[in-house]
Amino acid sequence: MAEGGKFDHLGLMNIQADTRRHFLGWGAGGLGAFFLNSTMAGAAPAGENAPLDFTRDPATPLSVLPPQFAAKVKRVIYLHMGGAPSQLELFDYKPVLARFHGHDCPESFVKGKRLAFIQGIPKLLGPMFPFHRAGKSGTWISDRLPHLEKSIDDLCVIKSMKTDQFNHAPAQLLVHTGDPRTGHASLGSWVTYGLGSENQNLPGFIVLISNGGTTANAGKPLWGSGFLPSVYQGVACRSAGEPVLYLDNPKSVSRAERRKVLDAVDEINQQTYRTFGNPETVTRIAQYEMAFRMQLEASDAMDIHREPAAVLERYGAEPGKTSYANNCLVARRLAERGVRYIQLYHWGWDSHGTPVDKGLNVGLVGRCRETDQPTAALLADLKARGLLEDTLVIWGGEFGRTPMWENRGGQEMEFIGRDHHPNCFSLWLAGGGIKRGISYGETDEMGYEIARNPVEVRDLHATILYLLGFDYRRLNYPYQGLDQKLTGVKPARIVSEILA
Amino acid sequence: MEDRAGLSGRLSAAAYFGCVALLTLAGAGLAMLARPAFAHGVLRTLGLETAPQAQSRSFYATRVAPLLETRCVSCHGARREKASLRLDSFAALLLGGKHGPVIRPGDVRNSELYIRISLPASDERAMPPSGKPPLTEDEKTVIRLWIADGASGALQTIAGAPPPVAEVKIPQDDPAAAQKQRAALAQSVRRLQARFPGTILYESRSSANLEVNASLLGSAFGDAELLALLPLQARITRLDLSGTAVTDTSAPVLAGMPALRSLRIGGSRMTQVTIAALRQARALKSLTIGSGQAGHGALAPLLEKHIAIYGGDDAP
Amino acid sequence: MRPDPQTHAQTHVRVWDLPVRLFHWSIVFLLCLSWFSADQGYMRVHLVSGLTLLALLLFRIAWGLVGSTTARFRNFLHSPRRVAEYLKGLAGGDKIFYAGHNPAGGLMVVALIAVLLAQVATGLFANDGVRFSGPLALLVSEDVSTRLTGIHGLIFDLILLLVWCHVVAVGFYLLVKGDNLIWPMVTGKKHRSYLPAELNIVFTRLYIALLLLAVSAGIAAWVMIQGDL
Repeated sequence: MAEGGKFDHLGLMNIQADTRRHFLGWGAGGLGAFFLNSTMAGAAPAGENAPLDFTRDPATPLSVLPPQFAAKVKRVIYLHMGGAPSQLELFDYKPVLARFHGHDCPESFVKGKRLAFIQGIPKLLGPMFPFHRAGKSGTWISDRLPHLEKSIDDLCVIKSMKTDQFNHAPAQLLVHTGDPRTGHASLGSWVTYGLGSENQNLPGFIVLISNGGTTANAGKPLWGSGFLPSVYQGVACRSAGEPVLYLDNPKSVSRAERRKVLDAVDEINQQTYRTFGNPETVTRIAQYEMAFRMQLEASDAMDIHREPAAVLERYGAEPGKTSYANNCLVARRLAERGVRYIQLYHWGWDSHGTPVDKGLNVGLVGRCRETDQPTAALLADLKARGLLEDTLVIWGGEFGRTPMWENRGGQEMEFIGRDHHPNCFSLWLAGGGIKRGISYGETDEMGYEIARNPVEVRDLHATILYLLGFDYRRLNYPYQGLDQKLTGVKPARIVSEILA
Repeated sequence: MEDRAGLSGRLSAAAYFGCVALLTLAGAGLAMLARPAFAHGVLRTLGLETAPQAQSRSFYATRVAPLLETRCVSCHGARREKASLRLDSFAALLLGGKHGPVIRPGDVRNSELYIRISLPASDERAMPPSGKPPLTEDEKTVIRLWIADGASGALQTIAGAPPPVAEVKIPQDDPAAAQKQRAALAQSVRRLQARFPGTILYESRSSANLEVNASLLGSAFGDAELLALLPLQARITRLDLSGTAVTDTSAPVLAGMPALRSLRIGGSRMTQVTIAALRQARALKSLTIGSGQAGHGALAPLLEKHIAIYGGDDAP
Repeated sequence: MRPDPQTHAQTHVRVWDLPVRLFHWSIVFLLCLSWFSADQGYMRVHLVSGLTLLALLLFRIAWGLVGSTTARFRNFLHSPRRVAEYLKGLAGGDKIFYAGHNPAGGLMVVALIAVLLAQVATGLFANDGVRFSGPLALLVSEDVSTRLTGIHGLIFDLILLLVWCHVVAVGFYLLVKGDNLIWPMVTGKKHRSYLPAELNIVFTRLYIALLLLAVSAGIAAWVMIQGDL
């Protein structure tokens, strides 16, 4: 840490408290309100939504803070399968739908509904792969995930997730930021805001992407900090080559020289801070310092060359390439090193049936092959290292897929696919605080609607925050006149039935 | 002078008021006939009838009443009596409302309450009314089974009823209590936090228990440093010594920590000796070791105590 | 035998002006309408009926200040002692007649107007918890609105009680004392023998009544518009 100048902590807190909203509020209320406001400034709001205090030394914005109450997990690994994996081919077994394969779908399925691409009356599409009961728990699973099956008794499969978004970008934003529009803080940002990160030499929120370039449908806002201070945004790292672009010094610059540059920049920033008093300046200083520390530690953390061959084989990882397997192994290493929130994205699950690599019989098969073994290896590895008992692992997409055979433009398709289906989708959780080897929720026999125990996305968020030790109503941040919450303005329900 | 417009006082006052009294009673009687709920209310106030009660452990009290309380009583209770129907007590539920009883014990199909909650949400008469979320399948099942089994106030279990859902209770914050509990060790905690930055943390905002993550310090943390933590041992619940320089010398210290629930020693210099000593650990629930640190023999006594063991020879 | 008009004019004196009579029977009708519409769920009708009641009540209060002699409050509002004396006298068989409302009647008038006003006022803020709420319900918190709805329900019982007392009282005069109070409230005219010897009734011009009614209606309309905003 640079020996920056000392700063006026009290003055900083005063500045932080005096937002423009407060000023305008006082002005509007007149002198009387001004007086009242200042005398009552000490009175904290009581009640169930009273925000918790997350004030920190701005020089260490990611310093660890204790959770509100005893947490079941300390970190989260979210495996997002972008494009929406077909629940009907993986976890949600619908034998009745199989009997109606090829029949015209009932009118009620399409009448008056907004569908992404289906037109007219499509045919029903039964499950494309055989299902069976697995493990001691007897959870249904298809034959596409033979490796994951071995860990089935550690999973809690939710088959009744529901969303109200039927297109990728808003649906992904809903899942990861709690709102279908951009501008909101992502789950990882909330978590690092609330808890900080154990390792001050690595970002607290790291994003690893495979099979789809560097951005998703919804792009960087998926791991953005929204209205939270920008220091809590996710850092997208690469699992091949430099973990973070431009992190390393240019070839001719040594670490000592870099240190001298940073010291100079620090001094200028401190001067700026003394002049303008903007706490973001202090955070910026902290970020430069973290980048400097990261130069050493990030490369080490992301470097899977150091893993023994047996481990690499278990994951199916190939050092030097970008792959989901590599990302899973990196995720485990990051978890070991105290990174708070690790987000993996793997794209290409959008099995519409156009083109070939989006077909259920081709694309989905490929995606399963790419992700099944590494996911299972990650779970087993975490368990073996005693990390699973305080890590929450989540696997899922952004919505489900229709029980109807997609007929884009009303035409029958060469490749088999399903359209977007917000009504129900499947997602599984594993790790601390989660009941092991259970299935929660059911869809109707056609896989069209939820029949029992619907779980809204905000309910999932509330449950995740509960496991991390927070009341979702009190992890909030004032912005635009509202105490913003991850779960939004509607009440959410912690899914008590899946908690151990 | 007589006024032909009137009936020039034919009745005496007594006769008249006698008639008025009779008419009033007749009116009340009609009202009682028309509104059974009112009738029962009157009879009960007069002590001519006792309101039926449900037993406190009955299926009604444990499953039906809480359901009605959360979903119905806001409009059908003490605050508001829509359609003169109250659903906030066993007696009121059986009584019914403006249009008569809403429960016919044993007859689900003719029980207005069940009919209304089973209507599609788009139906005007559906309950809860539009805007409020409809009852879940499980909730409807609970009511249906209860009515079908005779709407009893005594029956304790009903076959086929879905299991009750326990709602999560968020622990109440009590910062004052936490402060008090932390007071005893507060100074030592602060001192040691300054000495080992970022490693010692309270378990939560409302707890006085401590979690120590020495792995962040790596080989800079050894036996001497562990000894320095001794003043806090009564409160340490989690201790992560992975990758540190702690050796078997610290075995008795670790075994002696009264509140230690979770311990990680993988990658440290501890061996089977420490693991053997941990047999004495009072509160230990979970132990994570590294490869080659212990054979199955050393772990057996711990496994017998139902301590979860992670890592070891299976791990790379 | 139909009374000879000329004789009728000599024996019957005009006591009640048109506005008071119209007011009385309109209230009777509107009360029934409000009760029926609330019971059956025709809430729009209930709203209009209640607002009409509001307009009429406001009118009556104003008319009670500037209207005809028998309409004015100061002419039939008496001290509680006066009322008690009157009632004692009535029980004892005294034959004291009043043009307009007697002291007991005056009390009933005020009680009914007050209670009806309270009913209308609480109704403005009431809500049925589902779809319908009074025009001013949004001006208060949901809790307050619900409480006022409860009071609205309780006042209804009070109105029933008062109306029953009123009917019983009028019936008493009719059947026991032989003094028909109902027909005069329709025709406006009362037989001389049931009136005090000294009579001095001044009738205010009808156009003033119309003016007051227009203002009252305006106020009620303004309240209704608040609900649409």
